[in-house]
Amino acid sequence: MAGPAIENGQSGELRRFIQDRELPLRRHAHGGMASAVLRYGAFVGSAIQHHPALTRAMDHALAHIIAMEESDRSVASGTTIVADSLSCSRGRFSRQWHAPPGGLWGCLIHVNTLLPASRPLLSLAVGVACCEAIRQEGGANACLRWVNDVLIGGKKVAGFLIQGFSGPRHCEEYDLVGFGINLNNRRFPEELQSSAVSLAEVLGHPVDLPHFQLTFLAKLTWNLGLLYFEEANTLRENGFSGDGGEHMLLRRWKELSDTLGRRVVFGRNIFENPLYEATVTGLQDDGALMLRLSDGSSIVESCGEIRYRGETAEAAQKKRPGAGG
Amino acid sequence: MANEIDFDEIFKKYRSDPYEYIDIRAIHTGLVRCLVAEGAEVAAPAGEWMHLPGTGLYEITRERNSKIVTSQINGAVAGINTGLNGKFVEAGETLMTIRHPLKKKEIVENILQEILFLFPAPEKAKYFFSLDIQSRIEKKGARAITINPGDEIITMSLMKRDTPVYYEGEPGVIYSIYFKPGVSVAQGDPLIGVCGPEKLPLIQKIVTKVKADWDTE
Repeated sequence: MAGPAIENGQSGELRRFIQDRELPLRRHAHGGMASAVLRYGAFVGSAIQHHPALTRAMDHALAHIIAMEESDRSVASGTTIVADSLSCSRGRFSRQWHAPPGGLWGCLIHVNTLLPASRPLLSLAVGVACCEAIRQEGGANACLRWVNDVLIGGKKVAGFLIQGFSGPRHCEEYDLVGFGINLNNRRFPEELQSSAVSLAEVLGHPVDLPHFQLTFLAKLTWNLGLLYFEEANTLRENGFSGDGGEHMLLRRWKELSDTLGRRVVFGRNIFENPLYEATVTGLQDDGALMLRLSDGSSIVESCGEIRYRGETAEAAQKKRPGAGG
Repeated sequence: MANEIDFDEIFKKYRSDPYEYIDIRAIHTGLVRCLVAEGAEVAAPAGEWMHLPGTGLYEITRERNSKIVTSQINGAVAGINTGLNGKFVEAGETLMTIRHPLKKKEIVENILQEILFLFPAPEKAKYFFSLDIQSRIEKKGARAITINPGDEIITMSLMKRDTPVYYEGEPGVIYSIYFKPGVSVAQGDPLIGVCGPEKLPLIQKIVTKVKADWDTE
């Protein structure tokens, strides 16, 4: 097997792509702050490793961290490991994740320098980035299901798995952000056929994979940059930058999600142990889901997963005031 | 950590004052308004999912952002710092004390906590046993599971970010579990109590003794 192609620093194609495509787009929407946000997120793709095949990108990231620490070197935050295919990939709770050639599979290493209040939003940020990238590529109906599943027409097109990890030598905190995006892989195992879809299937034509990778990393640069940008704003006691003083990332998540107002089943492991049905009433400042139970009482969940019940996304969208995007 | 227990002394203590006293502190700086009076009964969170909040204890307002802090335990208000009502307080200032009546099970646990090795929560989050430990607990029960330093025993979960928690402490069996799946645990609170095999007879003795000598549930 050929060794990985390695690009160091957000200095090559990605930096040009951000400069030429992402910055004008964001400047148009957000004005002068756009450059600052992208600077905060410029660690994304600081090193990009591309492998023809791996067993699991997360395992490769872990091995990379351990090897770097053992040789007394620092891991570059934003290091991104991408593979054409993964042979033993999995989702949460050891669920299988099908990762043949044609999709975008990989792991981004985030060295945690966020304050505790911002760190929970990392999960939302990666979902927002992916949803934006898919919409920009033509998947206009892509939307987010809490926490960060990206769906098109109710079927999952992308999923994320974030694993916290403390470095064995210096106890540095890492977030390993695993991503799996179905792009040109049109065939799914039988058990996934009713719940998974690829972007190529939706668009009716293949996706330019290297171009999508650049778009996704550019969107990650913006959305992870937002976490640091908003954190800096609050430290300066300026408050958040979104309309009405709302955190810009939460604002964007709400625009892209069809979760608010939906009737859902909640569980920590939804397949093996669904716990209860409720209606989603909102999102807390820390990204936790606010739910109303059948007896009218409220509950807030900061971990677990949901599946939609009953009404269609379109119906829920119509009911929800201020739904955008 | 004790290896010998003076039962008479401990029982005397719990019989003369079978309560736990919990200080209620300001969660952050702000203007405080007490919502309960001295001696008032307060309730703990309730409901199948613990979604019905406990009794409101005080309201704290900072920068026009008000929140009501509720009781996490049942009992009675045993002391209010009335001088702070309506005043701006610093974070951590003690506002009142809740006197919580101890049940037999809680007394056993309190005594056991002096003997067991308590493994604390690394940060405020929800905790679950790792898949391997969970399946072993389901098959054999927690007290049949021996854990060693370095074992991945628990998963800390917050907003779909899962962090494996590795056990650090003396090898032994998982004797007590202090967390419930899906319920937040504060940083530093114990997650599990672990007991070396040599201490099991002592623990059995405590449990038997309290069960036999303590009248009320």
